[in-house]
Formats: sequence, C-alpha cells, structure tokens
Amino acid sequence: MITTKALHKRYGDKVAVDDLTFNVRPGVVTGFLGPNGAGKSTTMRLMLDLDHGSGETLFDGRRFDSIRHPMREIGAVLEAKSFHPTRTARNHLRMLAAGSAIPMSRADEVLEFVGLSDVKNKKPKGFSLGMAQRLGLAQALLGDPSTLILDEPANGLDPHGIHWLRDVLKSLAAQGRTIFVSSHLLSEMSLMADELVVIGRGKMIYNGDVDGFVREFTQSTVLIRTPALDKFAETLRGMGGEVTPVDDGAMVSGLDAAVIGEQAHRDGVILHELATQTASLEAAFISATGASEEYVAHTITDEERAMLSEQPGAGSTTTGGAA
Amino acid sequence: MTDALRFEWVRIRTLRSTYWLIGLGLLITAGVAFIIAFATRNDDPSPGNVASVLTGGAEFATFIPIFMAIIGVFATGHEYRHGTIQPTLTAIPQRSRLLMAKILMVSFTAIVVVAVSLLINFVIGMIFWSEVPSFEAPLNEVIPGYFVLVVLYTILGLALAQLFRGVPSALVVLLIVPLLVEGLIGGLSMVPALDWLQPVLKFLPFSAGARLLATQPYDPQGGPEFDYFDRWASGGVFAVFIAIILAAAWVLFKKRDA
Repeated sequence: MITTKALHKRYGDKVAVDDLTFNVRPGVVTGFLGPNGAGKSTTMRLMLDLDHGSGETLFDGRRFDSIRHPMREIGAVLEAKSFHPTRTARNHLRMLAAGSAIPMSRADEVLEFVGLSDVKNKKPKGFSLGMAQRLGLAQALLGDPSTLILDEPANGLDPHGIHWLRDVLKSLAAQGRTIFVSSHLLSEMSLMADELVVIGRGKMIYNGDVDGFVREFTQSTVLIRTPALDKFAETLRGMGGEVTPVDDGAMVSGLDAAVIGEQAHRDGVILHELATQTASLEAAFISATGASEEYVAHTITDEERAMLSEQPGAGSTTTGGAA
Repeated sequence: MTDALRFEWVRIRTLRSTYWLIGLGLLITAGVAFIIAFATRNDDPSPGNVASVLTGGAEFATFIPIFMAIIGVFATGHEYRHGTIQPTLTAIPQRSRLLMAKILMVSFTAIVVVAVSLLINFVIGMIFWSEVPSFEAPLNEVIPGYFVLVVLYTILGLALAQLFRGVPSALVVLLIVPLLVEGLIGGLSMVPALDWLQPVLKFLPFSAGARLLATQPYDPQGGPEFDYFDRWASGGVFAVFIAIILAAAWVLFKKRDA
C-alpha cells in the first residue's frame, strides 16, 4: 500500500506537482495517467526521494529513506536506459544486488524471467528500447519487492511485448503486490490498469476505478434513426436532450435510450434504430484532461486552413501567423 | 555502509575503464622507471633518481595521479552521464553513505595501485642497481607522500565530477588548471609589476601538492623565486583545496534533485 499526502513540487514559480494525495492499493494494477508534462515522472521521483519537495509518501506506513534495503521492498524504474553502456546486463543487476544484500544468483533469475538470458553478458549499449525496458523491469523485480513503481514501462515495447507486460503486471498484482504504472497512452492503461490516478498540470483529476472514470467524464449518447427526424428532434430538445444530426440519424445526449423509446411510442414516431453508444476510456481521457494539457497543439482554424491550401507564388498577401 | 561499499566494489570491478586506466598507468610508469634506471645505471643511485624510478617520474609527469583521478571522476560522473544515479539511489537512498562509500572505495583502489606500481618499479630498478638503495630521508617521506598525493588526486576527481554532475567538465578542470592556470599565474608573477603575485604561488594547489614528492628544496631555475611550505604543509594546501570542492559537492548532492 502506497499513501501519498500533499505531494508538492515547484520549479521556480511553476508548480509541477500540486498537492497530490492518493492511495495505491495492493492486489490491483493502478495506472498513473496524464498528458505529457502533467507531472507524472516528477511525482514518482518525489515518492522515491529522488526529488526534494514537500508532502509525504509512505510505503506500508514507512518513509522510503527509513527502509533498510529499499530494493527488496520497492522496485522502481523511472528511465528506460539507466545503465552503463559497457557494463553487461548481468553485472548491472549484480551491482544493484550487492548494494541491497540480494544474492547474486537473483540477477540470472530475473533476466531469465524477462527473457534477456541470451544477452545477459552483452553490453547493453546495443539494446533496443524494448530490451532496455525489459532490463528495467528485471531491475525492478530484482529484490522481489512487494511494491512496483514503473514510469512508462510499455514505451518502446511492441504489441506482443505490451501484452506480455500486461500479463506480468496482472499476475504480480494477483500475488498481492502493489503496482503503480504510469503512461500517457490510454490504450495501454485500458489494457493494464484496474484503478486510475489521473492528473493534469500536476493536479488531481480523478482517482478511482476505470469504469467510474468513464462514467464521470463522458456523457453516454444514444444514436437514433427515424424518418421523422426533424419533428422528433424538436420534441427531444424540448425534453432537455441535445441532438446532433449525423449522416442519416442523430446523436442524442442527456437522455436515456429508454426515455427516448417511450417518447417515440407516445408520439407514434417510427424508430429504425435506437442504440446507446458506450463511451470509451479515450473519450473520457480527452474530456478530463483536455483543459489541462501542458503543450497543446491548437486546432487549425478555417482561415489557416485556407492559407495552407493556397498555392505558393499565387500572389496572395501573407498574413501574420495566428498565435 | 557495508551495503554501499559492496555496491561500489562491484561497480568499480565491472567497469572496463578501471582496468584500462590502471593497466596503462602501471605500464607507462614502469616504462619511465625503466628509462631512468637504464640511463643512470653507471651512477650510484641518488635519492632523487631512486624516487624518480619508484614513482615512475611522478614529480614531473603525474600519470598515476591523473589516471586514478579519472577513476575518481568516473565514480561519480558516470552516475549522471548514464543516468544510473536513479537506480543507485533507489538501492542506497542515503546519499552521504553512498558518497562516503565511493570515496573509500576509490581511495582503497588508489592505495593498492600505488603499492603495486612502487613494487613493479622497484623490481625494474633492482635490475640496474648494484645494491638495495637506502630508504632514508628523503625517500622515507617521498614514498608516503606519493600515496597521499595519489589518494588526494583520486578524491579530487570524484569531488569535481560530483560537483559538475558529469564527466567532461571535471576532466577539463583536472587537466587544464594545473597545466594552464597555475602556469599562467607563475608566469605572470615573473612580470616585475606583478611580482606581488609571488606570495600567492605557494598556495597554488597542484604545485603545492607536487611538493609531496620533492627530494630537494624548491629551486627556481630561472622561474619565480619564492619558498614553498614544507612537504606536509604543502600537501595540506592541496588537501584543503580538495576539501573545499568536496564539501561543496557534498552539500549540493544532499540538497539538489538527483
């Protein structure tokens, strides 16, 4: 169990982590989600005492620096390639094992587990990002810790590797371990995580289970198809629904499918289709973090689009770029 | 502390550059020892010659001190250059303990290397010397002075790389300051209008440190005229210089984000 209390970190006058308080429970995979630059890595560094800020993180009630052999209780990987390029994978792990009173033979065990046995005596400077991530996971598992903190562990893994990682993390969680994994990619998190901590610009946006996140940040919509769309749309708007016409029907939000169906029956409106569209984690994420993105590529305006499509040298006057 | 020392022991052993630097240092100083011993084979070995053979000419070409200083630079600089400071600190979060272990381990390595080098060079000397030379003054002070000098250089390298959190700037300071900065100040003090610089010269750290190997009083030989402190006080000047850098590095290491 990880408990953080009011984690706070500022660089100059920019607040990177803004009073984050959350719990990470054992037995499930907790995803740590946020757009790039949201403060995920800084939060993890604060938790591990690598960065100095305010607030407190407790691992089963103890501070990180009060644990005698932290690697045996908390396995952490924050950067994919944090090893010396000419020290072999095996020696890298043996070095860390020596500092944590872990038997040297454990290095071979974890390398076998992550599938790097064949290259354990090779210099890791030639490792691909995927191999480096596997070495990172081996490093985290070296002390057989009850808590894992991994920053973007799926970054650089191929789809096969991501599935493997998901299975590994799920089975480690099932053994009762506490797993805290960050990502800026929803597709990964929707595969791996049971619980979510979502932040944007250093602030807490959501802390709870994945389904709750979707419920909270998306309105479910209902697709309707009817020959009498215009008239029925008026009726639905009158009931407080929001109706957006699509190809040959309309998306209705703010009203349940049941309510729409009953109203259609009362009005004698023929419905060809009445279907609830389930909201995705993706949609929830965009709606939750849309306002908090750190580096937003602004949407192209019609004016700019027109400018971009103009033929070069067509004699048009150039206007100043929109900020 | 034992855990941190074990960690450092494996770290230094599993780095190829450790072997390269030590091997090269031993080889070059042995070569220098051979040249001096061979060239003076017909003379009675003077204390100066014996010291030059044993230290491999360290009083005019600081090979082993510099190579061991580079091992010191790598002890802390590599952690930042390759980002290993993160796994290192998650294994050993007590930063002072980690830094202390690094200092002890590189110092221990330096002592072993100096001992081995002295032994090799002694054997080379004995090929040409007719009898075992006398180890009376000044050799009874030069040999311990050599150990102290190399250990100080090693700690200096470690402290500089920790201060700059990287390898290149530490190497630049290590190589440029003794060569250019101290030479420049010495040269400027020769300009009559700048002769007020001369009292400062005995405080130039690297030059003062070199006095640990002195076999005779400082002779200007046309250079600036001044007097160094005695051997151990001059060594002390060098040690204080290193202590200041180490203290700054230590405080910042504790205070800064890793």
